[in-house]
Amino acid sequence: FPAFSLCAGAGQDVGRSCILVSIAGKNVMLDCGMHMGYNDDRRFPDFSYITQNGRLTDFLDCVIISHFHLDHCGALPYFSEMVGYDGPIYMTHPTKAICPILLEDYRKITVDKKGETNFFTSQMIKDCMKKVVAVHLHQTVQVDEELEIKAYYAGHVLGAAMFQIKVGCESVVYTGDYNMTPDRHLGAAWIDKCRPDLLISESTYATTIRDSKRCRERDFLKKVHETVERGGKVLIPVFALGRAQELCILLETFWERMNLKAPIYFSTGLTEKANHYYKLFITWTNQKIRKTFVQRNMFEFKHIKAFDRAFADNPGPMVVFATPGMLHAGQSLQIFRKWAGNEKNMVIMPGYCVQGTVGHKILSGQRKLEMEGRQILEVKMQVEYMSFSAHADAKGIMQLIRQAEPRNVLLVHGEAKKMEFLKQKIEQEFHVSCYMPANGETTTIFTNPSIPVDISLGLLKREAAIGPVPDAKKPKLMHGTLLMKDNSFRLVSPEQALKELGLAEHQLRFTCRVHIQDPRKEHETVLRVYNHLKGVLKDYSVQHLPDGSITVESILIQATAHSEDQGTKVLLVSWTYQDEELGSYLTSLLKKGLPQSTS
Amino acid sequence: YRDLHTFELQAPTRVIEWARGSRVCVAGYGQSTGNEILQLIPPPALQAKEAQGLCPERDFKVECGGFSKRPVYSLKHVPDTSLLVTSGPPDSSLQVWQVSAEDSDVIKSVGTIATENATGKPWAKIATLSARAPWVLHGSTLDSVQITEVELRKNVYTAGCQDGEELAGLAFLDGSTAVLCCARGRLCVADVRQPRGALQALPAPAAPCGHRWCLGTACAAQGPGLGAQPVARLSSGGLLTLTDLRKASEPLASATARVPSPGSGAEFLCVSWAPALQGCLAVSGFDGTVHVYDTQSWDSSGREAEPVFVHKGHALDGSGDPALVTVHTWHPQKPRTVLSAASNGSLHVWDWVQP
Repeated sequence: FPAFSLCAGAGQDVGRSCILVSIAGKNVMLDCGMHMGYNDDRRFPDFSYITQNGRLTDFLDCVIISHFHLDHCGALPYFSEMVGYDGPIYMTHPTKAICPILLEDYRKITVDKKGETNFFTSQMIKDCMKKVVAVHLHQTVQVDEELEIKAYYAGHVLGAAMFQIKVGCESVVYTGDYNMTPDRHLGAAWIDKCRPDLLISESTYATTIRDSKRCRERDFLKKVHETVERGGKVLIPVFALGRAQELCILLETFWERMNLKAPIYFSTGLTEKANHYYKLFITWTNQKIRKTFVQRNMFEFKHIKAFDRAFADNPGPMVVFATPGMLHAGQSLQIFRKWAGNEKNMVIMPGYCVQGTVGHKILSGQRKLEMEGRQILEVKMQVEYMSFSAHADAKGIMQLIRQAEPRNVLLVHGEAKKMEFLKQKIEQEFHVSCYMPANGETTTIFTNPSIPVDISLGLLKREAAIGPVPDAKKPKLMHGTLLMKDNSFRLVSPEQALKELGLAEHQLRFTCRVHIQDPRKEHETVLRVYNHLKGVLKDYSVQHLPDGSITVESILIQATAHSEDQGTKVLLVSWTYQDEELGSYLTSLLKKGLPQSTS
Repeated sequence: YRDLHTFELQAPTRVIEWARGSRVCVAGYGQSTGNEILQLIPPPALQAKEAQGLCPERDFKVECGGFSKRPVYSLKHVPDTSLLVTSGPPDSSLQVWQVSAEDSDVIKSVGTIATENATGKPWAKIATLSARAPWVLHGSTLDSVQITEVELRKNVYTAGCQDGEELAGLAFLDGSTAVLCCARGRLCVADVRQPRGALQALPAPAAPCGHRWCLGTACAAQGPGLGAQPVARLSSGGLLTLTDLRKASEPLASATARVPSPGSGAEFLCVSWAPALQGCLAVSGFDGTVHVYDTQSWDSSGREAEPVFVHKGHALDGSGDPALVTVHTWHPQKPRTVLSAASNGSLHVWDWVQP
């Protein structure tokens, strides 16, 4: 019977991840993301899929969030506070620290800027986070008596984790978003050979062959350099944590190498916050960063200084990192407005921008923007986009499968396109089944649970001594009694089992009558039978007892005269259940008749 | 460079072939089974008119893929069909594949074009013609050259030659003529309208024995008539000979490319004409570089020529064993854009600047 069923709430869109897993009677929700492209109810997953009536808290055993990107956690406050869920929510420490910031930021844009009403409030975000239990990497967390989870490093962004969910001997590993190659500030994802029954992996970038990081960085530096050389200003709107650190390290190295003099600034608020989080979560970054951090403060760059609002009006070239990342409010928007009119300047958007933000508008090609107070802003500065996001490609997915050795693989993908090739590739290389459900589809995966049974040492020794010498290559059949008590399984000898259970052994005896034509006296018949059997059954112990009966091993043969016919003798052959085989053989042998020789 | 993009394939390729819709095909050549044939969609940046530095779409996408039990040494699309043919050891047969990008992204094996006495023969060289017929010209030795109509698997031409000399390459010059290049350098011209027709042989260029040669011809669709573009031959010693097939008695021009010695063999020798630049050709296969030459200044002396550009990217990439460039090809429209692949799995797309 099925041990799993799965409902992919994510599936089709690069926008919203939410997967429901049923494993051995436990129900777990993996991620709770929001779709960034929609402005209405479609942005949240349809939670009525889960249960039509009945409370979600009763149905779900826990919720797990893989990392702080909004397409993985954006619907969490809506889910827990507006739909209603009071059970535990698990995520890593950095995720717990950073999630609320992003959620609040997004809430501000949606409600304040766009005037939406059916959205979660700041208080809801706070209440939601109170239900969060933070976990450490490789720490086994008991959700309840049977369900346990464990987080593994996923790379991708600070705090991103892959989760192993285990109930008894069945397990699932969910990767969230991960990256198999390290970058400048994060390491690569890693998992041990945990052999889960199912590995759920993202596969959005599975068909992509990315151009090398070196090329992208080189082009980025070229653009920055060209702008600065002609006296222009470069604005890079960033979120506090993540790619900003990568780019800072990149620029610092470049500035040093090229001996450039133009100033690079970093928003003050940013510096402190980033510093704080990096110090707090230093174990989540890669080796190089940790070494650097030990030697000096992350942000004591030679060429990067703290920014002051007034600097934006300074003449001459400069590069500024400012928040927020989508140019929707705050400092980065202020600076943008000041610099937009000059074609010598450039703005480089480092990531995805939500619809409705200035960032999104200029990336779509809009060059005349309506600002507050109906002011029109003409954008003459160069607009560039560059993505340094880190996801696993086909090679990375194969690597992860090789590390974890799952029995089944399920791919969650961003687009509804056929990935038959990848499916075959995985199936051929690893001899596992590969599934690719669509949004809303349920996939059932059958597992072969192994049931561990303890075998008593005495039984093992005894059985091993019987028959041929145990051979590593040939399976050996052993007999014992299986005792199932509470949740333990034991294999013991029958005698032991009887003793433990307080039962007496029943003896089963079979008796068969064989008629033989022999007019002589009974004791002569017996002698004939005895000699016959002795001659035929040379390997067995055939004995003639003083009381006139014959034994073959433990089988008893007695002869009596037939009550009605003196010429016929009746042989009673009697044996125990254990000697069934020999008994049957003897009977058929005797039925064939006795040889005609004289005794 | 005006532009340079580097990519890493999961397995190295020795074929880069253009297909319909600006697709690019690559395939693995490892000795064990499980080689993949991939049809890739190049990044939009490559298709655009101007170089775009920070274009969001900078990646190749795998559009569809197939699995080949043999290593793929040669791959060609059959024009105007959704078929492609591959060849590789251990024999000289061809494998036929169907690319159907609509309902499935798997390139399916649909059959084999067997050749007589195929076993034990070297792998077949393949050429296709972008004209009305889905013909494939193939063969591994001079006496096994034939044209097969791929859809019906019907033989339409066999060369009438008894010589079993190994072929290094072959190509259609137009709908009625094909040129064959032997491994030892000899060129033969065949009139494919005459089944079992004799081949017209041309002398091999003067070169030390033991050198292996390969062939480079211009795209058959371009110039009408025989030899609108000269045929280039490259030897494993670096000698480049250009021959005008209309006056084949003596070479048009020749020069020597600067190659490291001892050479690394002739496995991946590759020479190709730039489709949009007159007299410009590229050479690779000696090391981790690709050389671009302007042949318009060459004479017939055969002395060393100076390349106008050298792409060194593959040699600088990565650590460990030095990479060997396995194949290169020109972009059909963008005049100075070249794609090259190397034995370490790298795939480069570069746009060079005339110095």
